[in-house]
Amino acid sequence: MRSSQLTQAMVVFRKELTDWSRDRRSIMTVLISSLLAPAIIGFMFTNLASRQRQVEDIKVPVIGAANAPALVEWLKQQPGIEIVAGPTDPEEAVRTRREDVIVVIPDDFAKQFAASKPAQVRLISDGSSQNNRPKVQRVRTLFQRYSSEIGSLRLIARGLSPVVASPLQIEDIEVSSAQQRAAMILGFIPLFVMIAAFTGAMSIATDSTAGERERGSLEALLVNPAPRGALAGGKWLAGTATAMLSVLVTGGLLFVLFQYIPLQDLGIKFVLGPAQLAGTLAVVLPLCPLIAAIQMYVATFAKSFKEAQSYLSFLMMAQMVPGMMATMNTMPTKAWMYYVPWLGQQTLLTDVLGNKPIHGLVFAVVAVTNLLLAAVVIRATAGLLVRETIIFGR
Amino acid sequence: MIQIENLHKRFGTVHAVDGVTFTASDGAVTGLLGPNGAGKTTTLRMLYTLMRPDEGRILVDGLDAVTDPQGARLRLGVLPDQSGLYPRLTAREHIRYFGELQGITGADLANRTDHLLTMLDMTTIADRRVAGFSHGERTKTALARAIVHNPKNVLLDEPTNGLDVMSTRAVREIIRRLKGEGHTVLFSSHVMQEVSALCDTIIVIARGKIVAAGSPDDLRQQTGQQNLEDAFVALSGLEAGLATDPRSATAQTGAAS
Repeated sequence: MRSSQLTQAMVVFRKELTDWSRDRRSIMTVLISSLLAPAIIGFMFTNLASRQRQVEDIKVPVIGAANAPALVEWLKQQPGIEIVAGPTDPEEAVRTRREDVIVVIPDDFAKQFAASKPAQVRLISDGSSQNNRPKVQRVRTLFQRYSSEIGSLRLIARGLSPVVASPLQIEDIEVSSAQQRAAMILGFIPLFVMIAAFTGAMSIATDSTAGERERGSLEALLVNPAPRGALAGGKWLAGTATAMLSVLVTGGLLFVLFQYIPLQDLGIKFVLGPAQLAGTLAVVLPLCPLIAAIQMYVATFAKSFKEAQSYLSFLMMAQMVPGMMATMNTMPTKAWMYYVPWLGQQTLLTDVLGNKPIHGLVFAVVAVTNLLLAAVVIRATAGLLVRETIIFGR
Repeated sequence: MIQIENLHKRFGTVHAVDGVTFTASDGAVTGLLGPNGAGKTTTLRMLYTLMRPDEGRILVDGLDAVTDPQGARLRLGVLPDQSGLYPRLTAREHIRYFGELQGITGADLANRTDHLLTMLDMTTIADRRVAGFSHGERTKTALARAIVHNPKNVLLDEPTNGLDVMSTRAVREIIRRLKGEGHTVLFSSHVMQEVSALCDTIIVIARGKIVAAGSPDDLRQQTGQQNLEDAFVALSGLEAGLATDPRSATAQTGAAS
């Protein structure tokens, strides 16, 4: 009896997968949602890294360097700054974005400077361009520093303490340093992988329950002598398979992506190597059966395909809560957290990606917990399939 | 053989099936005739075990369908009220899917599938996805998957509803053939010509109750009407216009939605 139930479940499983694989829309959903995470993370990182590089090593074109040899010499000594000769038409060069910023030292600089009067230095930049802002800011800060250094020297020469001229001391504390921003982006990885699992299961979970009834094929299916457990079980296995497929594709793409992201440019020690990939899959794959089971249970209640989809959208937001909370404010990890579905995966993934050693037993316990819960939910779903209100959708 | 005794089903205050009793014998076609909302679909749904009767007994080949629905389903082939198909599967795949669920495998299944496709004149469309099928082709597919396991008892809920002439003929041909092979065929219809052309026994049902039962000749005699349609109208009390009766209207929505 048990083996025939399994055979029947496999019949349903094969049929649902065949049906799914012929649905271009559901294939596209899995592909796009799998591509989304690597694309977003890749974009954010390359953007961050290129901006970082841009600020670190800059060439500053200077026009009229001969007018202020001491200033130019000082600039050359600053780390990461290279002074080059400026173009003949500086404003045009900036407007056409050939240069981000150009320094112009006027002819009367030396005269004004010698007389201890404010000597003019022009910074030509385009304020409408977002990308060059850190670079312009960096150059401006250099001149401000030079200015205040010379000012202090002049005050000392006149017998005054430079402190008098600094009523305020402004200290910049940059919270979102490149490293921290990068860490935040990395914090999204677990979330993305979990979303992949969820969207992967979705089309079969809705199509094989609410969709089956909306299409009017549920009645005919239930007249079969196959036990409800076999029918629900087969559909559940199919949903689990597509969820796992989606996780594998996302994980694989992230793995490939991280071989190319210039993390070292950001000074980050993060590796997504084979060990981390294996760890991530070991955490998320066992959650797929539970995700598929819960989705099916919820979708079975829905009157139509569309209604099922909107229920599941809510469910997806709900499953993102633990991940969001963990990303926003880092709670201290407590032992019980590992064993709560979703929260446990989130905690485990953070450990895996942070290279914290985890006992293999924790993986096993979490996986078994998920499977047991999935079995309970599937049993409940099979129980729904005998209710008249569910079968006939009243 | 199917035996139904004193069957009752209520939806809220509506008594959709009210004490229905009849027997459908082997090697005979039994027609459940009645206007829309009379309780035909509800009766059949209880018979094919997806609804639980409030009262009464259903025996399929002597097996109690209420206490052993699984066992009853093994002996039934059903074309339900709603016979939706899977648009992305082919006709052959539909038949195979249901055959496999019935536990038929290998060469058996292939032979049975080919046999049904030939019998229903579907060989040219067998490997096309059903998404583009006509209404008749869909009904044939649904019928083929319903009887893939060669069930002793065949239940058909309004099998010819909305079909064109050729498809209707094909379905009638199947019903006659099943009868000839000794099956019990029970089908519902609200079309007079249908039942009179096919049935050995007609059970006229209205407002959840059986108002008459017997062979077409019996019914003509009972009512004194020569025309079977007149007999039907006289029996079901339709002259007052059952379609506008609010009670039966609710029963219909309840049963069919």
